[in-house]
Amino acid sequence: MSDLSNLPSQKDAIATALALYPARPFAVSDIGSQSGWLKAAGHDPRNLYVSGPMGLATSVALGLAAVRPNEQVLAIAGDGALAMNLTSLATIVGAKPKNLAILLVDNRVYEFTASVPTPTRDMDWLAVGRAFFGADQCMRLSDLTPERWAGVERPALIVADVAPAPAKPPALGLTPAMIRQEFLAAAKA
Amino acid sequence: MTVAGHASGQGGDRLFRSIAAAKPGLVTGVPDGMLAATIMACAASPDFPYIACAREEECIGVASGAAMAGRRAIVMVQNAGLLNSLGAFATMGLRYGLPFVVIVTNRGALADPNGYDIEKREAFDAGVRPMARVFDFDAGDFPEDLIPAAFKWAEAARKPVILALEKRLGSGEGASA
Repeated sequence: MSDLSNLPSQKDAIATALALYPARPFAVSDIGSQSGWLKAAGHDPRNLYVSGPMGLATSVALGLAAVRPNEQVLAIAGDGALAMNLTSLATIVGAKPKNLAILLVDNRVYEFTASVPTPTRDMDWLAVGRAFFGADQCMRLSDLTPERWAGVERPALIVADVAPAPAKPPALGLTPAMIRQEFLAAAKA
Repeated sequence: MTVAGHASGQGGDRLFRSIAAAKPGLVTGVPDGMLAATIMACAASPDFPYIACAREEECIGVASGAAMAGRRAIVMVQNAGLLNSLGAFATMGLRYGLPFVVIVTNRGALADPNGYDIEKREAFDAGVRPMARVFDFDAGDFPEDLIPAAFKWAEAARKPVILALEKRLGSGEGASA
């Protein structure tokens, strides 16, 4: 990955992934960049901005998917975050949720921490994902269309190579109580 | 103790009945010997999903996801497992005020003196009790309505609650191993 500037932004990758669905899925984002860019891509009551620790979004999304089996759930994780909760992929494989997918946005840095490089920056996330989910359920975002995505079994992992942002996303501007109240209303609707 | 022995343990049966009476949306956990019978009963239950996590911190995330959607969630882990998960417990359970129930087997009690458990118990006392409400019970003698009562407390308090189960001297069979 030599020229990172040609890659999409994290915000655009999130918007593209959400647009794969015919109806808005629940979107569960990790603390920091993923929550900031998810909100910047479009605030929605079905967004659940996780406040930490890093990497927990995949586990939170699994719990949500288990109690809302008729709804689609998309977890949004950064490469640094997912590496902190890599075991959640094994748990998800075991739980076999038919409504859960993970979007991995790989910018190769801890964007919220002075863009320090991640230890996984040279890792082949597609190979990692395929080891857990199989080749048919792990693919690059750039290879997906809504029509193809509709035919992909879940759980699934989407890998998106994204450009490191020149600045952090805008602050969420939401308190935990506001996030919980708004999401609860959307989840019960 | 065989697997069949765990499954027939009276403590495990009683805990499962109490869990089922609370009508959880899901139960999640990582095994401990004292919880094995209950976990197997939960995994076999048609009434709610049991999510077996690879690591205890994940359990807090899974429970948080269910609680965010307004459903009751139960975590079952050993004291060492909760110690591994305090960051998630604080930043999800406490920060968002999520009323889930954490059942912790508090190993290293006077009647449970494995050398490798002693420091876990001391760390539990030092690290968990100052930050969260812990109610302590004999693993072999607790009320049938324990889990429904724990949810009522958590929902009133708008925060998670921890139930610490331990082996006690002179107690009955209890949750075994």
